[in-house]
Amino acid sequence: MKVTFFFVPCSLFLIRLLPAFVCALLVHVTATGGESEAEIFRPQEGKFPPIEKAHSYRGELIFVDHANRRGSIRVEGTGKFYRNNPHPFALLPYGMVRYQNAPADLRDVPLGTVMHAYGFLPPDPKTSSVPLLPPNNKDKDAGHYRGTGIFPAENHILLLEDEPSHCKRNGLVWKLKEVNLSNLVGTIVASRQSKDGGGTEAEPQTMTFDSATRIWRGRESIRISDLIEEKVWPASGKKDLSDQPVLLGITWKPAPGDGLSGAFTSFHISDIWLDDQSIEHAAYFQTQKHNSFIRTRWMPAYVNEVKYGKFGQATATLTLFGGMDQALYDDFKKESGGQINGAENTLKHTASHYGPGHMASNGKIIQVTKQEGKVPLGSSGIQIDFKTDQIIEAIRPGRVVRIRPDSWPKSQIPREEYLFNNSPENRFPTPAIFRKN
Amino acid sequence: MKQFPIRRIAILYLGLFWIACIVPAKQEPFRPKVGEFPPLEKAHSYKGELTFVDHANRRGSIRIDGDGRFRFAAPSPFALLPYGLVRYHGSPADLRDIPLGTVMYAKAFLPPDPKISTVPVLPLDNRKKKYGYAGTGVAPAENHIFLFEDEPSYCKRLGLVWKLKEINLNEDQGIITARRESKSGNGDVHEETFSIDKATRFWRGKEHLHFNDLIEEKILPENGVQSLNDLLVLLGISWKTTPGGVFKRFHISDVWLDELARERAAQIQNETHKTFIKSRWMPGWVEQVEYGKFGRAKVTVTLFGGMNQSLYADFKKGQKAMLASSENTLKHWAGGTAGTAQMAGKGILLEVSKTKKGIPLGSSGIQLSLETNLVTEGFRPGKIIRIRPESWPILEVPREEYIHHTRDGIDIRFPTPDIFHIFPKN
Repeated sequence: MKVTFFFVPCSLFLIRLLPAFVCALLVHVTATGGESEAEIFRPQEGKFPPIEKAHSYRGELIFVDHANRRGSIRVEGTGKFYRNNPHPFALLPYGMVRYQNAPADLRDVPLGTVMHAYGFLPPDPKTSSVPLLPPNNKDKDAGHYRGTGIFPAENHILLLEDEPSHCKRNGLVWKLKEVNLSNLVGTIVASRQSKDGGGTEAEPQTMTFDSATRIWRGRESIRISDLIEEKVWPASGKKDLSDQPVLLGITWKPAPGDGLSGAFTSFHISDIWLDDQSIEHAAYFQTQKHNSFIRTRWMPAYVNEVKYGKFGQATATLTLFGGMDQALYDDFKKESGGQINGAENTLKHTASHYGPGHMASNGKIIQVTKQEGKVPLGSSGIQIDFKTDQIIEAIRPGRVVRIRPDSWPKSQIPREEYLFNNSPENRFPTPAIFRKN
Repeated sequence: MKQFPIRRIAILYLGLFWIACIVPAKQEPFRPKVGEFPPLEKAHSYKGELTFVDHANRRGSIRIDGDGRFRFAAPSPFALLPYGLVRYHGSPADLRDIPLGTVMYAKAFLPPDPKISTVPVLPLDNRKKKYGYAGTGVAPAENHIFLFEDEPSYCKRLGLVWKLKEINLNEDQGIITARRESKSGNGDVHEETFSIDKATRFWRGKEHLHFNDLIEEKILPENGVQSLNDLLVLLGISWKTTPGGVFKRFHISDVWLDELARERAAQIQNETHKTFIKSRWMPGWVEQVEYGKFGRAKVTVTLFGGMNQSLYADFKKGQKAMLASSENTLKHWAGGTAGTAQMAGKGILLEVSKTKKGIPLGSSGIQLSLETNLVTEGFRPGKIIRIRPESWPILEVPREEYIHHTRDGIDIRFPTPDIFHIFPKN
């Protein structure tokens, strides 16, 4: 009886506690998204994360805050595309943007372009410049016919590339199957597949085009009406295009079929590159633009190690970030002079009104080494040892810096691209500008 | 006997009358009024580099070319008036069509209603305020833009061309001296020096060239100075950072070498915008509502201007049309699970009239009367609407371009200027 007497109140006590226990468990499971913290992969400071661990998605570029290397993308999920709210993203410091098969800055990509993204969870949620989401958010149905996958928590992007860049990187082409047009507007059926014909052919897609679609052939910029004049395409009706290999620029425009009763999300063809010369021509312009951009903003890099000397002297070992044109890396030569400056995760310079060149530490490149073997995406695989007699707080292992060889011009950068008076909101932009979905 | 001071009293009256005339003029600066298109002559003009775009709310930021050092000027927020026109490559455009970095010309006014301004409201005389090295004129209070156009559009509107005088090439970059003047040879002449580089695009007929192509054809020198013999062109202008000692020099992003190339660029932009307007509907405002019974009314609207003529031609008397209420941002309304079309009033176009003379900028001069059996709160004189003729497709607009009647709050209807905190202050 005593035992019973002892157990009955104890069981009652436990039963009373049960709801609280279940609630606590639910809160824990929700907070971790059903995964333990140990299973969640986040990029670490000073290391380049493996792209295999990234979550990939694609969507339409809607908003750009290029000075803070962030923006919004309407992610393609399982539901009605037009209903999806723009989803905020931030570029990782070593995150790469590619446009027309060349390196780019976010400002170079036209709004409306469909981009492929490889994203990770925020490396440090405390300083994320975009909203934090539960780790399993990509699996949630967002409701209102939007489906799943449209608000992934993996909103810190390692690689953001447009369609031609995506195809070139993966050795893919679009094979045009059929065109159907009337009054310079119509649809194209095409499938993306391996250039060499290997691999499995992707499901053919129907995309729209119109009289604003640009067609590139060699150095020519032509229109749909030119193809009709040349009798390559019919003025109206259907034509078999016999798997013509091309590259496509893809955007999204509202189209019949988008609505609740519609059967598909139809992407739109903004550009067609008919041959290799035409895409090389486009890539050339973008590469030149980006080279000029990096030469004026300096090469971003991680600090790997600092060996301190006397009286403020030190040698910093840096890894230059990847994805740039080789001509830029070639400018870092042993024994050449240069400047190194502290930067933030947004790649903003620390500067005074006299420009980054005024705040930067002068020095000399004493060693340039190229990593052998597989180089992780985000890294150039190039390490340089930079000796300076003015080591500053920002040059610490794991921190982001920008470096300039003496052969690059000393330029003044615009006001929104440097930090002044050390204001925390400019150093660490908050997600406050993005509204909740 | 003391004389009555008639002269003094007369002077006093005259003085008071003069003060009465002057004081209100100083207290009431010009602001556009609801339901009226403001005269372009009263706009404040400036130019600058487009640095930020929030196209869904028709606003952004521009680094204004003041009298100081260009790079010091922080981006200055602007909003487009509901009837504000954007032009790119000589054709109508939406803000999303303009690449960041493009130098734009603005004609702007004070906020029509400061209480609901989507951009910061500044002191009236702010354009005269000096902001350190950035100089004066970089943050005018006139931040509600009526006309926003790139260099080729500006030149086309005013009948101007650029004449290239001389080029000085040094390997992969160079300097061009050019003069902008009237096509007719009359008027002011403006000479300027620009940078060019390997990313500058040259357009000739159907060709898209870079300057190495022109060097190969011996049109440009490989290195050094060459006269360009007043070559007639249109220029696309942007801004790139300049070496330390050069505080301001604009950059040539594009050169259109002939009329065919210019026409083709304009045509692509024109087609882009036509498709855009057909999917978002033609904006206008309500002039008059004549109420009938049981929700019926005849609504008279004026269509906003600056679009391609073929869009206006689609509004035909006797045809069916849909009329939807909108906001100053030109956003649609949507409700339930269906799209914007569900919220629109349907009806017949009873009249289509066109004013031939004295059409102010911002207006198309076209008035339509539509009879609908579903007059809603949004159809009031002075309010913004969007209208679709039957011949345009019914399409779904993306989520950020409509206001949902239950899911969106007041902040979506009247966006606050908070977003501009992303930029440092001058």
